[in-house]
Amino acid sequence: MATRRHFLKITAAAGLAPAVVSAQRKARVVVIGGGFGGATAARTVKVLQPALDVTLVEPNPVYTSCPFSNSVLANLREIDQQQFRYDGIKSAGVTVAETRATVVDPEAKTVTLADGNKLSYDRLIMSPGIDFNWNAIPGYDEAASEKMPHAWKAGAQTVLLRRQLQAMDDGGLVVLSAPANPFRCPPGPYERASLIAYWLKVWKPKSKLLLLDSKDAFSKQRLFQNGWAELYPGTIEWVPLSQGGKVISVDPTTLTLTTEFGAHKATVANVIPPQKAGAIAAQAGVADRTGWCPVEPVAFESTLRPNIHVLGDAAIMGGMPKSAFAANAQAKVCAAAIVKLLAGDKPQDPILINTCYSLVAADYGISIAGVYRPDKGQLIDIPGAGGTSPLVAVGGLRGQEALYASSWFRTLTAETFG
Amino acid sequence: MHRALLPGLASMILLASPATAADAPPGASSCTGCHAPKKVADSVIPRIAGRKTEDIVTFMREYRSGAWPSSVMGRIAKGFDDAQTEAIAAWFAAQPE
Repeated sequence: MATRRHFLKITAAAGLAPAVVSAQRKARVVVIGGGFGGATAARTVKVLQPALDVTLVEPNPVYTSCPFSNSVLANLREIDQQQFRYDGIKSAGVTVAETRATVVDPEAKTVTLADGNKLSYDRLIMSPGIDFNWNAIPGYDEAASEKMPHAWKAGAQTVLLRRQLQAMDDGGLVVLSAPANPFRCPPGPYERASLIAYWLKVWKPKSKLLLLDSKDAFSKQRLFQNGWAELYPGTIEWVPLSQGGKVISVDPTTLTLTTEFGAHKATVANVIPPQKAGAIAAQAGVADRTGWCPVEPVAFESTLRPNIHVLGDAAIMGGMPKSAFAANAQAKVCAAAIVKLLAGDKPQDPILINTCYSLVAADYGISIAGVYRPDKGQLIDIPGAGGTSPLVAVGGLRGQEALYASSWFRTLTAETFG
Repeated sequence: MHRALLPGLASMILLASPATAADAPPGASSCTGCHAPKKVADSVIPRIAGRKTEDIVTFMREYRSGAWPSSVMGRIAKGFDDAQTEAIAAWFAAQPE
């Protein structure tokens, strides 16, 4: 016994005492952000170690999923099918604080909430998603997004863009502007262009879609372009960076998007602006000069602030893309690692999988997958694994992948929200 | 005598007790993003919890070689070697169906 007490004294003095063992209280885990990363992390920590005190901080009582929100634009789904509540998280034993986190103090290890409360943590998980760099495109601020929706955070913006599309006269021009890398959901703008074209073909067949891009290559590019040529010939025009695709300013009053090569007047304009980690990340000091959050690749602990873990779109995850599936996978790895760390154990090196489906039409799905492991402080693509659907589909593969996409959504949202 | 026995006994109990979920082998936690751990309505993606270890290993090996056609699993199976695949398969085999 004397030996054990002596050991505890030494480790406590060194600040290494496993919180669960040494403290008289329960160790506390606070999670900021109730999306695919945060909601999964909160619940998984609690399920893996019920003795921990877990609080999820999320101001919205309802989460609206970005995955499959492009189908809402094309009238294939309704917005309420995108919405999830936190009842499943609560019944797992997680405390949900329905308010906003305003200040993270990494020294004091506290999170101040908009309702005036202050939470202490042993480990903080931040999954704040994205915020927009307003005015990075001159003229595009939050007020402009009411005229030229981004619809890159699902909800009211998705509904607004759908309403504008439905109100458009046949023969109108839809202009979509896609940002440079990195940004949330790399194939998302191209799935959106596809599904808007799918809808135009049925309801407004004389209309066109102009896709102005700030880059020269994009995710699943050949699969998308083959699908466009096959299904929507002449409807979608993609303008890459090198051909004047970069939008350098917008005028929301006239719905004009100006590039280095000229101006385009839209009937409906969808501007997906440049992005950064959710604002609280910069306040906490976990975002670097890029606006995103560097983390180590085993427990996703910030390389800038100890005891804070960052997940999902906000984090720099090496080869792993900013996707809902990736955030969910990272959250499960992070939760297991935090349970280990709080017990004084070393987390194991993880392997993570990403799988993302895109719809080119309601019954035409394509996918990309990757397998990742830590290497030299980063998550890297395991060579030889992963990749996209084959360019030549046999045996009804595109229809099969559209079906898999629906199952993927149901399983992922069930695993995240219960 | 008894004192010497106790630590041995304790470690045997530790070894015999099932690993906690925090000890799932690398890669296993990602699988449930598609392969639902519990029944989810209307999923065409097969569940793998409670399946025999050797069945999962065989499928993964055939996906990897391309002997069994797949959409996405061939691309994923190539990210795991035999030992990693075996560990994940044994883990899912031990989960409730």
